[in-house]
Amino acid sequence: MQKLFSIFVLTAIVFSLHAQDKFFTKSGNITFISKGSLETIEANHKAVTCVLDTKTGNLQFSVLMKGFEFEKALMQEHFNENYVESDKFPKAEFKGVVINNAEVNYSKEGTYPVIVKGKLTLHGETKDTETNGLVIIKGGKIQATSSFNILLSDYKIDIPKIVKDNITNSVKIDVNCKLEPLKS
Amino acid sequence: MILTILLIGLLGAGWFGYGEYNRKPKDLLKAKADLSVTPADLLKEFSTTEKEASTKYIDKIVSVRGQVKAIEKSEQGFLTVVLAETGNMSTIRCSMDGNHLQEITGIEPGRIVDVKGVCTGFNTDELLGSDVLLNRCVIQLQ
Repeated sequence: MQKLFSIFVLTAIVFSLHAQDKFFTKSGNITFISKGSLETIEANHKAVTCVLDTKTGNLQFSVLMKGFEFEKALMQEHFNENYVESDKFPKAEFKGVVINNAEVNYSKEGTYPVIVKGKLTLHGETKDTETNGLVIIKGGKIQATSSFNILLSDYKIDIPKIVKDNITNSVKIDVNCKLEPLKS
Repeated sequence: MILTILLIGLLGAGWFGYGEYNRKPKDLLKAKADLSVTPADLLKEFSTTEKEASTKYIDKIVSVRGQVKAIEKSEQGFLTVVLAETGNMSTIRCSMDGNHLQEITGIEPGRIVDVKGVCTGFNTDELLGSDVLLNRCVIQLQ
């Protein structure tokens, strides 16, 4: 009985320590910016889900496409109906890993440059991506930021010639997520 | 005469086009909800019949009355009101309209509120629990 109890306690401790390895948010922020010659189109997402496993470096993002907020309603409608076809492809996902995870000391406050490699799925298309970013450890929380460009054509997102000067094929993505420990 | 009519027509079309181009997303404070539902029913519908629930709720203005589980503030100052039922891992996450944050001051977890927002979908996650997401939300206190 005593032995069984000890095993149970040990297992519980191991599980709880393991749970501290994972950090997450459900209110991460992603902004995308398209700087055309005629105008700049910007959209903001405030409900990005992100999970980081600090032990393995595994990093995942999940974005409901309809959550992107535009200043102009017509842009938001065109974005959803014509460009990303969010009814057909409601979610964008990134599954990857921090390849220099061993260089990040998650228990020491500081700013660590990271390289993230993985697969980005957008508009039903999956592409390998590699980007630079920052992991900032402060107050027991992790802030993950990155800024990179994607080509809409890589994800079969067509821009009609008529709006070619309004929307660029190369779009800038800014990611900013504050992660908290996942408690099991 | 015909030229005058044509000119008026063109000006009208131009004015309409300009207005349409610059049209801002609807401010939900004065908008009428398309649907009213309890958090339990909303989550149940999405959990059991996601496709039908998506057709029914996504892109619609949904009004939900529920208990506040938490109010989250992001780095950028964006507020999310989380509605939940006790014993349910899944929640309704309401991303608040930045123009109507004053109504949220003083709200604490446990309070019953009426939230109106546009449904943007259902985020399923084995690890984190599944949530129905609303955005551009406004709040009415009970």
